[in-house]
Amino acid sequence: MNDTNGFVYFFGCVVPNRYPGIEYAVRWVTGKEGFNLDVKDQKGFSCCPVPGIFYSTDKDTWLLLAARNLVLAQEERRQILTVCNGCLASLLKATEYLQEPKNMGKVNRVLSQIGKKYTGIAQKTEGRRKIFEPVKVRHYVEVMAKDVGLDEISRRAKHPLKNIRAAVHYGCHYLRPTERAAFDDPNDPVMIDKIVEACGATSVDYEDRLDCCGAGGGVRSHVIELANALTQDKCQNIAAAGADCIVTGCPFCMLQFDNAQKSFSKDGIPVMHISQFQALAMGIDPISLGFDTHHVSAHSFLRKVRGS
Amino acid sequence: MTDKEKEVEKVFIGGLHEKLVEDKIIEESELDLNFSKEIRKYGGKDVMTCLQCGNCTGVCPISLKIAYKTRIIMKYCQFGLKKYTLDTRWVCATCYRCYEHCPADLNPAEVMIALRHIAIREGIIPPFIKTAATNLVKYGQSVKPDPEIDKIRIELGLKPIHTHDADYQTVIREIQVLVHASKYDKLIGIQEEVKV
Amino acid sequence: MTAPAPQEKNIETSDPTKGAGDIAGSKIGVFICHCGSNIAGVVDCGKVREASEKLPGVVVVKENKYTCSDLGQAEIIKAIKENGVQRVVVASCSPRLHEPTFRKCVQQAGLNPYLLQMVNIREQCSWVHSHEKEKATEKAANLVQMGVSKAGKLKPLEAREVPVEPTSLVIGGGVAGIQAALDLANMGFKIYLVETQPSIGGKMAQLDKTFPTGDCAICILAPKMVELSRHPNITLLSYSDVEEVKGYVGSFEVKVRRKARFVHEDKCVGCGSCAEVCPVKVDNEFDLGFGQRKAVYVPFPQAVPLKYTIDKVNCLHFKSGKCLLCVKKCSNQAIDHEMEDEILTLKVGTIVVATGFDTYVPKRKGVYKYWEYENVITGLELERMLNASGPTGGHLIRPSDGNPPKRVAFIQCVGSRNKKIGNNYCSRVCCMYAIKNAQIVMEHEPETEIAVYYNDIRAFGKGFEELYHRVREDYAVEFIRGRPAKLTLDPKTKSIKIRAEETLLNKITEREFDLVVLSTGLIPSEGSKRIGKILSLTQSPDGFFMEAHPKLRPVDTAMDGIYLAGCAQSPKDIPDSVAQAKAAASSAAAPMFARKVRIEPLTAIVNDDLCQGCGLCVDLCPYSAPELVPGDKGGMRAHVIEALCHGCGTCAASCPQKAISPMQFTDDQIYSEIQAALTETTRRHSPKKKAEAEVSP
Repeated sequence: MNDTNGFVYFFGCVVPNRYPGIEYAVRWVTGKEGFNLDVKDQKGFSCCPVPGIFYSTDKDTWLLLAARNLVLAQEERRQILTVCNGCLASLLKATEYLQEPKNMGKVNRVLSQIGKKYTGIAQKTEGRRKIFEPVKVRHYVEVMAKDVGLDEISRRAKHPLKNIRAAVHYGCHYLRPTERAAFDDPNDPVMIDKIVEACGATSVDYEDRLDCCGAGGGVRSHVIELANALTQDKCQNIAAAGADCIVTGCPFCMLQFDNAQKSFSKDGIPVMHISQFQALAMGIDPISLGFDTHHVSAHSFLRKVRGS
Repeated sequence: MTDKEKEVEKVFIGGLHEKLVEDKIIEESELDLNFSKEIRKYGGKDVMTCLQCGNCTGVCPISLKIAYKTRIIMKYCQFGLKKYTLDTRWVCATCYRCYEHCPADLNPAEVMIALRHIAIREGIIPPFIKTAATNLVKYGQSVKPDPEIDKIRIELGLKPIHTHDADYQTVIREIQVLVHASKYDKLIGIQEEVKV
Repeated sequence: MTAPAPQEKNIETSDPTKGAGDIAGSKIGVFICHCGSNIAGVVDCGKVREASEKLPGVVVVKENKYTCSDLGQAEIIKAIKENGVQRVVVASCSPRLHEPTFRKCVQQAGLNPYLLQMVNIREQCSWVHSHEKEKATEKAANLVQMGVSKAGKLKPLEAREVPVEPTSLVIGGGVAGIQAALDLANMGFKIYLVETQPSIGGKMAQLDKTFPTGDCAICILAPKMVELSRHPNITLLSYSDVEEVKGYVGSFEVKVRRKARFVHEDKCVGCGSCAEVCPVKVDNEFDLGFGQRKAVYVPFPQAVPLKYTIDKVNCLHFKSGKCLLCVKKCSNQAIDHEMEDEILTLKVGTIVVATGFDTYVPKRKGVYKYWEYENVITGLELERMLNASGPTGGHLIRPSDGNPPKRVAFIQCVGSRNKKIGNNYCSRVCCMYAIKNAQIVMEHEPETEIAVYYNDIRAFGKGFEELYHRVREDYAVEFIRGRPAKLTLDPKTKSIKIRAEETLLNKITEREFDLVVLSTGLIPSEGSKRIGKILSLTQSPDGFFMEAHPKLRPVDTAMDGIYLAGCAQSPKDIPDSVAQAKAAASSAAAPMFARKVRIEPLTAIVNDDLCQGCGLCVDLCPYSAPELVPGDKGGMRAHVIEALCHGCGTCAASCPQKAISPMQFTDDQIYSEIQAALTETTRRHSPKKKAEAEVSP
């Protein structure tokens, strides 16, 4: 039994600073005009912190910063709703680390300097012992597929994207490592595909669909050519499958697809977050989704959407 | 191989091929016999049990593109060839495919992360690490806020990025306290950005 | 070979009255073994000796380099005969290793063999504390003190003998079971062989040729199968399952279910007219789905017994109540759809377990695409295809189009040496069967291109390395060192592209093949799991049955009278299976020749005065040893059937009246050990305390 009350938005760094359209879409889909979920803002959140930088260079610092974010959710007694694979991986891994009493003690000794303490969310008292559950970290896709439900998504898709063939990119940290409290089959993930189908579109299969976009782990920042080479492979496979757009659950993968394509092709395949895709199907005016901030033009895609 | 690819290879293999040819014999003095223990300290599971089957290389998206081969890195780690491994440490995308397929249940991606820990402590700090860390202690985010984006946010009806807000300064202070407490600022050389 | 002369240090205390206190007058001799450097390399045996000398009741303490050697044993005999030692304490290795040796030695000197106490200062001391020598010495001295204390409380016991039924049960009719049955039968014993399948022959019958010699598997196996079926001493119970085993070595009672074949074995002549008219065609399990059989069938032409069986699931009569074409056709009236399962009760003296193995089959969709791509097959499926009496008549074809493949790849270590799926072990046969099959494919179609993706080639047996050499020399089979990472299908040609790192080149290669064969490993069979439960056999972590000792008792189990043969114990090839079967047969024969077996008297004994007949021990005993019988003074009393009791102590621990106790582990004896462990006698003299005393201010 988990008596946590609703969610708290965790947008991370990329969404607010690079793709405000995603933020708008997520707020809209989860808000009053959408599924009316109980989600709050929490202004105190910092970077998750990004695994490719902090987890890679100093796990102690990474855990401290992640724990600070988790404490904020713990104080709200809410689940974290993240829209990014990187934030999901980082925060989930941190909750796992903090299950170890040794790690928790070490972290809390430092957190006390800023007047914070991570315990997990108190659930109930058993005798004199309090039972705590780790702060729950949920991916937007999971919340949509499980809490909202595919039937509801399909019912609310008043503008089904019938003409659209979407290529779904899951992203590595959505899938792996597999022993993590997984909400989707890491070898054969289906949730984003099902949401895409619930929006009335066709999810096309393409070769190596579970492969990496190339950006993670600091590769994009350090050796952009290498990251782009990987993205090129993916885009070739996606183009070969005749997709109209790329739909992903990760803004960082999206950033990579969106930016990399100009390095090897003129037009490119438009790429969007699953929340933007959903919002389109639910009949939002595309102008609110900030497609003009994307590098790859969504013009012809949107024309096709209108024709749906 | 295109010129561009060649260049990438030069940067990231660190002249590895030439070195191997020149050295001909790897002297014992070049080996760090405690290397595997050091890797374990930073969370890389026991690299000594690697069977060298090459499955990790085959599934590694990076290994397909450059001469960096996951299995070879694992071999270097087993062998104690620290100086070779440190040349290749930043190209792992941490996609964890190697871990999913490893028959010895090793986690090469975590080994790469351990290698990064070691490299940082040897003073090899790529600029993007500093940039991201500086952004974090300055803005609380690893991505630098962009005024152009703020304009768009307002157009869309969203609030501007709140990292400039006065009440966000306590958050930034907290972050700086934590970064300072774990000595991360000193580790990667951003002390001047952290005012605690 | 002569054993090195032990370095002896004889210390005999001159005062025989010493230690007359709590240990009622027993003279105790302590023998401390160095075990070469196994013990002495860690434990300071001299200090242990000094500590032991001071113990009450101890009259002789000796150190030996090897107490188990002739010279060491002579010391014990001498101490008993000349110094009047009445209790012997040997501080050496685990009692599992040498307790029998020293019991015999003590008995030789005229003492009751159960007046011996073993103290384990090797496995439980020097080996586990090799980095802390002082503490190990202290612990050894403590252990000896406990042993001496218990030795004073030991009581003489007498071993009992039980008769042995000269009949053996062999479970499993593969090559190991067949060989064990034949050997035992030839020695003159009566044998029941129980096989769950309609025919004996096991996995070997499915193979084409055998490595490294290339003998045709069924050609060398079939004569043995026939010999077995005709042997006057062997009763073959095919299509039968062992359901229950009760009893103990010498007299096991076994319940066997003879599954209804719906064909009377005594009437069926194996003519096959029933199968000719049977209208139902289904996949033949024996051909792993590549060939077909009828609902009334023999799995393969050389089946033994050559008796048809009706597959109830697929037979039309059982589905619709009609058909009966086979009944009309059979001139011997052998077919009987009304037939029912039959339960037989057998009485046997020994049991040989030869329940074999299954081959690993990839469990889910995944990298090797076994379930996704038609042209990915397993090694055993390839064997069936290469087999002349197999579904393709010995022609290798691609399942997708029936054409012979031009390019064939083998992938090694599928389901073996893989920690991810929990099969950490090497299956021992896959390297060689892949190499052998590569040779056969090349013999059939010399133009074929063959590549073997391997991690390590293990060609360790007689003639194996030579075969490995031959396939490279004569047939240019290519060996690629690397574990394939990815298989992709060409949707048009159904060919498969393999991506793998050629690790010796440090290059990723992509090559296309028409057929991919997975060299799947060996896993414990389903039957093994069932039989293991029925017989309470222990398993090693890999799931195969555990032998009593990995080196010295490789075919025995921890259960007296039950022996292991073949792949039920661990993956092995045919010659090893046959050799182990012969060994198991010879081990099983020993008690049957003797017609009797000694039972250790270390069983539980009930004190009739205390027992209230509550029956708790009867419920808890894992071996069903206690039973309730009418007591002398009315009411019920527990009584332990000694031959069933293993002396585990479950009953003693649970008895509310403390009425039942296992011999040599009585409460009195164990408390005396605990008491000794808690007294300060040895600790005061322990080297550690001394060392501390020296350094402390």
